Amino acid sequence: MTNSFGEFENAKLFFLIGTNMTEAHPVASYYVKRAKLKGAKIIVADPRYQALAKKADIYAQIKVGSDVAFINGLMNVLITENLYDKKFVEENTEGFEEMKATVMKYPPEKAAEISGVSADLIREIARTMAAIKPGMLCYTLGITEHTCGKNNVMSTSNLQMLLGNMGMESAGVNPLRGQNNVQGACDMGALPNVYPGYQAVTDPKNKEKFEKAWGVNNLSDKVGLMIPDMMHELTTKKVRAFYIFGENLARTDPNITHVEHELESAEFLVCNDIFHTETTRFADVIFPAAAWCEDEGTFSSSERRLNRVRKIKDAPGQAMPNWWIFKQLAKRLGHDWTSNSAQEIWDNEHSMVAPAFAGIKYNRLEGDGLQWPCPNEEHPGTKFLHKDGKFTRGKGLFKGIEWTPPAEVADAEYPLVLSTGRRLVHYHTRTQTGRCGLDRVLDDKTGLNQMMSEERVDMSAADAQKLGVKHGEYVKVSSRRGAVKVRAKVTDEIPAGMVWMSFHFSEGNANWLCNNVFDPETKTAEYKACAVRIDKI
Amino acid sequence: MSKTIIINGKECVFDGNKTVLQIARENGFYIPSLCYHEKLGPASKCRVCVVEVDGIRNLQTSCSTAATDGMKITTDSPRVLEAQRMVVNLLLANGNHNCMICEKNGDCELQDAAYHLGIELPAFVVEEHEDKDDSGAFIIRDGNKCIQCGRCIEACNRLVVNEVLDFGFRGGHTQVVCDGNKPMGDSSCVQCGECVQVCPVGALIEKKAVGKARSWEIQKVRTTCPYCGVGCQQELHLKGDQIVRVKGVEGAKPNDGHLCVKGRYGYDFIYSKERLTTPLIKKNGKFEEATWDEALDLVADKFKQIIKESGPDAIAGVSCARSTNEDSFYMQKLFRAAIGTNNIDHCART
Amino acid sequence: MDASIKKIVARYPDEKSAIMPVMQHLQRENKNFLSEDAMDQAASVIGCSKSKVYGVATYYTMFNTQPVGKFHLQVDTCVPGFLHGADAVVEHLEKKLGIKAGETTKDGMFTLSRVQDLGSCATGPVIQVNDRYFENMTLAKTDALIEALKSGKEPENDPSMTVISKCGVLLNDRTQKDCRTIAFYKKNGGYQSLKKALTMKPADIIEEVKEAGVRGRGGAGFPAGMKWSFLPKNDSRPVYLICNADEGEPGTFKDRQIMEFNPHLVIEGIAISAHAINSKKAFIYIRGEFNWIADILDAAIEEAKKDGQLDNVDIVVHRGGGSYVCGDETAQIESLEGKRGNPRVKPPFPANSGLYGCPTVVNNVETLSSIPYIIQNGAAGYKKFGNPNNFGPKIFGVSGHVNKPGIFEYPMGTPLKEILEAAGGVKGKLKGVIVGGLSVAILTAQEAETLILDFDSCVKAGTALGSGGIMVVNDTVSIPELALRTIEFYHHESCGQCVPCREGSLVIEHKLHDLVHGKGKIEDIDLILHLTANIKGLTLCPTGEAFAVPIQAMVTKFRPEFEALVKR
Repeated sequence: MTNSFGEFENAKLFFLIGTNMTEAHPVASYYVKRAKLKGAKIIVADPRYQALAKKADIYAQIKVGSDVAFINGLMNVLITENLYDKKFVEENTEGFEEMKATVMKYPPEKAAEISGVSADLIREIARTMAAIKPGMLCYTLGITEHTCGKNNVMSTSNLQMLLGNMGMESAGVNPLRGQNNVQGACDMGALPNVYPGYQAVTDPKNKEKFEKAWGVNNLSDKVGLMIPDMMHELTTKKVRAFYIFGENLARTDPNITHVEHELESAEFLVCNDIFHTETTRFADVIFPAAAWCEDEGTFSSSERRLNRVRKIKDAPGQAMPNWWIFKQLAKRLGHDWTSNSAQEIWDNEHSMVAPAFAGIKYNRLEGDGLQWPCPNEEHPGTKFLHKDGKFTRGKGLFKGIEWTPPAEVADAEYPLVLSTGRRLVHYHTRTQTGRCGLDRVLDDKTGLNQMMSEERVDMSAADAQKLGVKHGEYVKVSSRRGAVKVRAKVTDEIPAGMVWMSFHFSEGNANWLCNNVFDPETKTAEYKACAVRIDKI
Repeated sequence: MSKTIIINGKECVFDGNKTVLQIARENGFYIPSLCYHEKLGPASKCRVCVVEVDGIRNLQTSCSTAATDGMKITTDSPRVLEAQRMVVNLLLANGNHNCMICEKNGDCELQDAAYHLGIELPAFVVEEHEDKDDSGAFIIRDGNKCIQCGRCIEACNRLVVNEVLDFGFRGGHTQVVCDGNKPMGDSSCVQCGECVQVCPVGALIEKKAVGKARSWEIQKVRTTCPYCGVGCQQELHLKGDQIVRVKGVEGAKPNDGHLCVKGRYGYDFIYSKERLTTPLIKKNGKFEEATWDEALDLVADKFKQIIKESGPDAIAGVSCARSTNEDSFYMQKLFRAAIGTNNIDHCART
Repeated sequence: MDASIKKIVARYPDEKSAIMPVMQHLQRENKNFLSEDAMDQAASVIGCSKSKVYGVATYYTMFNTQPVGKFHLQVDTCVPGFLHGADAVVEHLEKKLGIKAGETTKDGMFTLSRVQDLGSCATGPVIQVNDRYFENMTLAKTDALIEALKSGKEPENDPSMTVISKCGVLLNDRTQKDCRTIAFYKKNGGYQSLKKALTMKPADIIEEVKEAGVRGRGGAGFPAGMKWSFLPKNDSRPVYLICNADEGEPGTFKDRQIMEFNPHLVIEGIAISAHAINSKKAFIYIRGEFNWIADILDAAIEEAKKDGQLDNVDIVVHRGGGSYVCGDETAQIESLEGKRGNPRVKPPFPANSGLYGCPTVVNNVETLSSIPYIIQNGAAGYKKFGNPNNFGPKIFGVSGHVNKPGIFEYPMGTPLKEILEAAGGVKGKLKGVIVGGLSVAILTAQEAETLILDFDSCVKAGTALGSGGIMVVNDTVSIPELALRTIEFYHHESCGQCVPCREGSLVIEHKLHDLVHGKGKIEDIDLILHLTANIKGLTLCPTGEAFAVPIQAMVTKFRPEFEALVKR
């Protein structure tokens, strides 16, 4: 996030696109609703008429996968009606003309045709955004989980730059991260192209720096593989050993049949985990790991805030902290690492090699933590980025972006669009939330399982009627990749022609159906769009 | 410019707009209060925080009285104490305030007020009982302990804006209702637990905490929620190494005490008997327990062999977006520095 | 949204205000029953939570969230009803229908309820059947009523009582069949004041009203002109005028006499006052039980509009839902905003932040009805009535043990004796008089002897003029029983927000109940006095004082009667 959660409550305008905070980021949604009580305007663009959409001042029910066209339509209005922030654009950005040329191809009528949002409403939204400044744009996976995910992301920053909604309080582009430490895993360089602190592996200076820091001389300057490619190469045997730390790829990745085939193909699979999962079935070796509350450490939240996590108990049995496991392996590979605690890793290693984090030390993290960038130990941390329109690269770069449809669209055989995501009560594949009842074992009938014990397919009353399906009845949902049996949930959240599911349950998991196609650059899967059909059982 | 008010003869300096109660608290004066909550502001309903204000005939509720320069306040006169005692007695008279078995014993604002005012037993008793509502997955509502302060309702409607709770009925029959007076478990309540967090008494308690610990046995540890990316700050209430309950950290960024159902109640998995407790090596299709040395050696040897035969890029790893920064840092360091590949990723974009 | 609901919502600047009218509408459409579905429908129409709607529905007594019989027989057993023998009617009905109060007959025809104060004090006992009143009931008339209802006939009401107007300012000649029409009103000089007022500067009207010294007739006696002058100057927010027609203080039934028979007087008063305070939107908040009077007002407003009298202000009649506390101005504002009728913490005062957070004036019906006379006759004309600081005509209602109960428009400062004589004199031996509605201190026969009826004299005599609802109590009445009836009313009506009122009234009720039923202890009497002494001045709104004062007076002045009930 360029900005912070603390700025939500006093925001004047929210533009929420592809984010269902009420369920995926509940606490953030409280602040949006409170801003509304204080008079903020809320604009929601989402295929689902979800809780915040119901509270919104303006709701645009966009079609799945139409974001680029919709946003281009908004920008078209801002430019043609001369409503954009000319001063900001002139002083702080470049590429305006190129972007404009593309955007001019998307008059509201064209955007309306693609997005299903009327041209008038597109105009109204653009005018509202231009009239109320600053505005905060928030998105979540509704933007990224498309084959055009990167383009969607760039469209959101195009829009905010055009409005001049950057570099100030209660503004900015704010992706809410889905997991507690997905931000941190990025910050730490668990990415194939950058070292910790976003330093490119291809830059020789970085290679030299890290070789010196780590006492090695063989760092690779070649960008590594991203997950889908790793998995694919398991089947070609180009990748022979695969190490999965705390992820349940066999249920979180699209097209489970295919994913399980890939995992099965691994010559040697190692897992660190706290439970057996659908993924550990394929492992050759499983290391038992310490869980949350069983080790000291830090998480980085969506707002770039470093927070401490603390140990309250030992890990059960022989389970050990993950860093310890990696350290033991490194030792056996000939590398003697000196850090003996999370604090030592942070204070003596990470903060010494990542300039944006240089000022963050454990002794500064006792209270509310610190938000990076924090370049030195006197620095108070950074509440919002790009202050006064100063972007990391100098000037903000506009990009002209063309709309592309999802890889798979509804047709006669599979007439419904399936979109997927998270629900409030459970988290991911329920390895944790499934064990929060009184018995603390998976699938007991209390706790979070009491609130939701099986997956269902959310569908519109219109489609239910058409198919003769009643609320609560089991149906078969199938795609070209698989089929599941789940109960139908007939709800006003879903428009006709669309259905929605989550990936929380092993059976009835949406990923049996999802399309394993990816954004060409980010390799993010198109979880938000594939074609399915529903049959009565 | 700083202003001054005099409380029980002591000059108390303050800046900006503050209430008498706020200044009294800052200066170490205990004024019992039940409906006021810092996050919710004055409510003026319980009438227990009354004080004498020089020049005003009636007692004034300190939670809603704006301090003005030179104001003279008395918090401990016989008149004030008699009024406060009457109010607390009235609350104790109705319902079932049995501290002995109450989860809030020792951490109850009504109990504190009674203690402070020297009320040993309620001066009079009127018995009217309501049923407990334990239909919610995580929250038990006990109308017999409810003092109708309205904090839960204000919190539900103004802080988390889930708009489930409100007062139903009137006068002595007033009670907190969910939706159209449904059991909590059948209502639209999402069990965020904000109501429990602000309840001053034992009317709203955590189901999973019942019978687990007395308040004075509790140790509190601050940590960060392990679920979504908001980074809510939690206060773990521990007895030994057991989490008894989870509260949000009041005043903390970003959540100021708020949590969601997962953050507040989704903590038990760490105690599950299904946890992995020993390294496992698959032999003939079955996992067998192994020592750390056996398992680590096996993995290291296999990696070495593959590096030798196919180069470091034949190994790939996926880090965890749920675990700590330090764990991810060491995993990528393992891949880069010890194995020699950039084949390290995690579910960064999902 | 169906058209009738749309129309209701459109009357209000904020749709939330329509919650009660929408629910009233839905209840009427569904056999007098407000179902869960209806509440959900109201929630979605208004755009608020289900619990909020439920909270509103269950706050007000007139919403039936449980099904009721085809005829809901509601007998007023509050103090005036009690004095007029309402209990005998309830007992008779219980026997006749074979059910207890609070139950419904098996055939679903009748539900019987005891209710608190219907504002028909001189014409008690009164039975409200659904939304119609049947007054001056005897046991024989009760039988006839039941038979008529059973056979589907339209029963007749007998609202007769003594009506004397010495001043001729507020009460008109109700014996005239067309007394409610604008034609009748204008024939007698009506709307001339408005015409004159519209040519005057608002500030001059306020000055004139100030000069007249008209004190609020709702009970508090606050100078009306001064209240108006508290409105902020140069404020861009709209100003609202609320005519408080929620007359609910037991013993009080004066405002309805103006509204029912002389509706245009109220309307003209509102129109002039709205001009004076620059308000374009006014509300008449009338207690829901007076539904037929609200209809009369609605019709009169339509007439006045058609006649071109209301070009300067839009007047909306808003029906309450059955709540005494909504007579308090901030509770009334909350209620008008579609909420539970909980009084607000002051400050801010309504003049600065009232309805929808805008400057608001709340005036009583009788107060506003005095305005046309002041405009026409000037402050001097008004001051011909009454004593210094206590000017003007005043409507007194007399109920209880007198020979000819009724209403009496007399000048302020009239001796109580004179009014009682006009009411036919005391029936039996006088024991005590409550002169200002139930919330004031009872006077002993001796104290009442020389009482002058105006604000200041009553205060001097240790009581208050209040609303001028005079209840006469003879020596057949047990004061502890009267005290129990009194506290039952206030406990029933307490909004429940603040502890001293909610719990204090409960404890006092329990203790008085114990005493009256021979289960009390001497300490209970002292406890009651301890509670009343501490509750006074401690509650969020005046309701605490409204029961602490009369209970304290009854116990103190008639203590031997309470002590005699304690078994030794």
